[in-house]
Amino acid sequence: MKLRNILSIVTIATLLASCGQHLTVPSDATMESRLPKIYPDYTEVTIPANICPLNFAVQEGETEAVARLTYPGGEFIYGEGQKVLIDEEEWKEVLRAAKGDAIKVEVFAKINGAWKGYQPFNIYVAEDSIDQFISYRAIQPSYVAYERLSINQRDLTNFDEREIYNNMSVSNEKVGQCINCHSYKNFKTDNMLFHMRQGYGGTMLVSNGELKKIDLKTDETLSAGVYPAWHPTHNYIAFSTNKTGQSFHTKDLNKIEVQDTESDLILYDVDKNEVSIISELDDELEVFPTWSPDGKKLYFCSAHFEYYNDSIEKSAEMIQRYTEVKYSLYSVDFNPDTKEFSNVEMVYDAASDSINQSVTLPRVSPDGRYLLFAQAEFGCFHVWHADADIYMMDLKTKEVQKLDAVNSDRSESYPTWSSNGRWIMVDSRRDDGNYTRPYIAYFDKQGKAHKAFMLPQKDPNYYTFYLRSFNRPEFMIEPVKITPQEFAQKAKEDAVPAKYAAQ
Amino acid sequence: MKKYLKYIYLFAFITVAYILLPVMNADYLYTIQDNNVFINGRTFMMDTVQHGGGWGTWIACYLTQFFYYPWLGSTFLILLWVAIYWITIWMLGLSNKWSFLALIIPVLLLYHLLDYGYWIYYAKAPGFPFVLTIDAIFSLLFVWGGMSITRKWNVDFRLKGLFIIGVLAIIIVINDWLCPSSPWHFNYGPRGSIKTTLTDKNFRHELKMYRALDEFRFEDALKEMPTEQDAAPTNLMVLYKNIALMHTGQMDRMFETNNCGINPNTGDSLKIRTSLLGAPLIYYLFGQMNYSYRWAMENSVQYGLSFRSLKMMARTALFNQEFEVAAKYIAMLKNSTFHRKWAIEHEAWMMNSTYFIQSQEYQTLSPLLNEEGNVLDGDDGLCEQFLLEYFSDLNRANTPLLETVTLCMSLWAKDYYAYCVHFYDYVNNHPNNPIPVLYQEGAILLGNAEESPITLDQFRFDDLVAEKYNSFVQDYRQLQQQELDEKEIGKRLKPLYGNTYWWYYYFYNDFNIY
Repeated sequence: MKLRNILSIVTIATLLASCGQHLTVPSDATMESRLPKIYPDYTEVTIPANICPLNFAVQEGETEAVARLTYPGGEFIYGEGQKVLIDEEEWKEVLRAAKGDAIKVEVFAKINGAWKGYQPFNIYVAEDSIDQFISYRAIQPSYVAYERLSINQRDLTNFDEREIYNNMSVSNEKVGQCINCHSYKNFKTDNMLFHMRQGYGGTMLVSNGELKKIDLKTDETLSAGVYPAWHPTHNYIAFSTNKTGQSFHTKDLNKIEVQDTESDLILYDVDKNEVSIISELDDELEVFPTWSPDGKKLYFCSAHFEYYNDSIEKSAEMIQRYTEVKYSLYSVDFNPDTKEFSNVEMVYDAASDSINQSVTLPRVSPDGRYLLFAQAEFGCFHVWHADADIYMMDLKTKEVQKLDAVNSDRSESYPTWSSNGRWIMVDSRRDDGNYTRPYIAYFDKQGKAHKAFMLPQKDPNYYTFYLRSFNRPEFMIEPVKITPQEFAQKAKEDAVPAKYAAQ
Repeated sequence: MKKYLKYIYLFAFITVAYILLPVMNADYLYTIQDNNVFINGRTFMMDTVQHGGGWGTWIACYLTQFFYYPWLGSTFLILLWVAIYWITIWMLGLSNKWSFLALIIPVLLLYHLLDYGYWIYYAKAPGFPFVLTIDAIFSLLFVWGGMSITRKWNVDFRLKGLFIIGVLAIIIVINDWLCPSSPWHFNYGPRGSIKTTLTDKNFRHELKMYRALDEFRFEDALKEMPTEQDAAPTNLMVLYKNIALMHTGQMDRMFETNNCGINPNTGDSLKIRTSLLGAPLIYYLFGQMNYSYRWAMENSVQYGLSFRSLKMMARTALFNQEFEVAAKYIAMLKNSTFHRKWAIEHEAWMMNSTYFIQSQEYQTLSPLLNEEGNVLDGDDGLCEQFLLEYFSDLNRANTPLLETVTLCMSLWAKDYYAYCVHFYDYVNNHPNNPIPVLYQEGAILLGNAEESPITLDQFRFDDLVAEKYNSFVQDYRQLQQQELDEKEIGKRLKPLYGNTYWWYYYFYNDFNIY
């Protein structure tokens, strides 16, 4: 028999043998009366019925681990060193069977040659599914510098991820480009936008599938559009316009303050390419517009701030008085047919003496009942404020509650709803205080938020070695159809200036 | 003899390359690897290879880390150049006589590596010492393969050439399509700095001083300062020197030890920034952890992640007690080949605070960690200016070291009023101690100024200092009466008074902060 034949037989035999191998849980494990330390923490979380596998690592020291997942109708056992890596096809089977029920997870770790078992925990599988995609900006948590930025989209039902746009496709050594504020109309991508600053500046706007590049800065407005909000029924977008500065703490672990010295609100009519003013009150810093689902109300945040020192620049005074800047939540009625705003109303007086806090980033639930926002002691850039937490207002009762199940003792910001209103996603720095990660929480029909879990990754150690933040995570029900190359091509064209329309 | 020509050429090249690389430029190569990064594992690999030319970059980063031991990295690089030499000979069928032509590419690559000078800090191509070499090898192998495939084709050689070029063009187009974010930064920067690399002593001193400070070998950093006869130090060297003096208890000797820096000689091609060359370490050694972290982060964003930045971010996070984020950087460094030991040592500090408190770094820096309040400010990228202003303005220096630093920094910044405040504080806090000579020099100078906030009668100065000052004033006036210009006066007074604060105050006016 030739050597090649012998090798073939040995190889086939090895493959067959490995196919037949099954992990088992140790029968001689001593049991611990506590939950295992796993990363990410998926203990007692509620997950969507269509989410990708929740791979995790067992952090019980230098160890070898196995986990048994028991679901209605069967069980699977996984273990690969310290990691529990779940087969994607088997996971789908588990989710199908456990929908509306729970998966019991038993973890065993081999420590110094002896197996230990830990208190089992459940992963609850909701009846509700989640939007298939999210998008986020991948950015290093730097201060002033930027270089490689991308807006990425991730399929939540598996681990597929791709770039929507990467600024390096048009940047060069002389012209850098910052990209930000990706936003979608009604969770769909035929109407979407993101901004480009510095090199090839402008707003990349997709309107009914057509890609345009617009310059939203007019002589009459403070800046180009910044924080966007697509009108749900008409082809309008509300933006804030901001003059923003940064300053740096020498000791405070928040490290940086990002402050608006001025800010207003504008409305952009996509079809007419027209910008008009919504609000530009003196002594008010208006920002973070967001629409009610019927499009008849615009919510926004505003801080009353009077500059009283004429001898120094506004930015210098703002630095001196940065803790005095506190945003409250307002709404203004809107008639989409006439584009008229009327009846500004205080929704939540966070800056009042009794509350003495600052509210940012409001988002109304798709059913219009609830409003999520981020709240901290002062300022508008809560991603850098460790005390920032997510709060929710019941718009029916006006009652405000802190969402303890979603929060941590570090910064939470950028709350958002899934299209069916059953899932909340927030940006959290709970892991290490510096890098933001997306956390997803179930929001049940009774209006209760459940324990948040970290966006799963194929490799559970992914986040340890990934040095970028997941900035501004947004749900989408479909992928972006325009390719990065098409965005790059359009980026190189001149932006079409928007016209100013006086109200 | 002719028979061995190809070996003789090769031997000569290898010898020259070794002399120019690890023998003459070990610190240069070490710094290059320190500004590079390679983390074992999938995440780093995937992050690197997803961009155009990513696999080449990944291999180049892997190899660049071996410059941790400059002779080792050089050996790998030279071996690749030897491979290029032999491939070229085989491909072109060069005879012994003409085999030296095969050295053209290796010589150009050697030149390219030495041509960076200060650009080693600004180079944005990860693993740049190896990238072009790897590209050259792949290109040669590609052409060689193309030649082998088309050898038996019965067509004109020009058509064969067109075929090879066509295939190459298709590969490039496909690559550009698949990876729209092509690494334009491979070509970043006009270099032309081989003269700096090979002859600029200050450039070399800076490299050595940085490493000595980074390893807390302060005496070694001081040894790198040139003596008076040598060329003037750069401003960065002066800053490094003063840091070393600060941490060896000699900061009040700063004006005795050549405090007059010049700008580095980089020609027009490059605007040097301290923020990039050393700000994270400088801030760290001044106990400014947030600003150190910030610049390590900013530099890693703009010029690429590096071992240097990772270590600085880990250290500052440890001091700030941000253990989770420190653990992240340490975990990455533990997955490196040569910085693993450093990471394990610092991980131990994290796991056991006793080790941390007993460490040289903590013992050295803790007296600078002024607990008095927080300042919201910015440095506009000018690290040295920020430190001078910050410490000059610092109220209530609550440790002896901070007391010294506030006094010395206000003198260095020529900040009258800040010095007066600190001087009074010092004298009140140490009523029975003799006043160090530098502080006396500062006080006498300011006390004799118009509208002086210092009343000299309250203090007892050394007779020698007072006499020397009177003598300085007398000599100065005499030379002024001779109608000499200030530069000439300064030159004439330097042998007698060059080590005093007075000379620095009156005659050093070229203090450029960059």
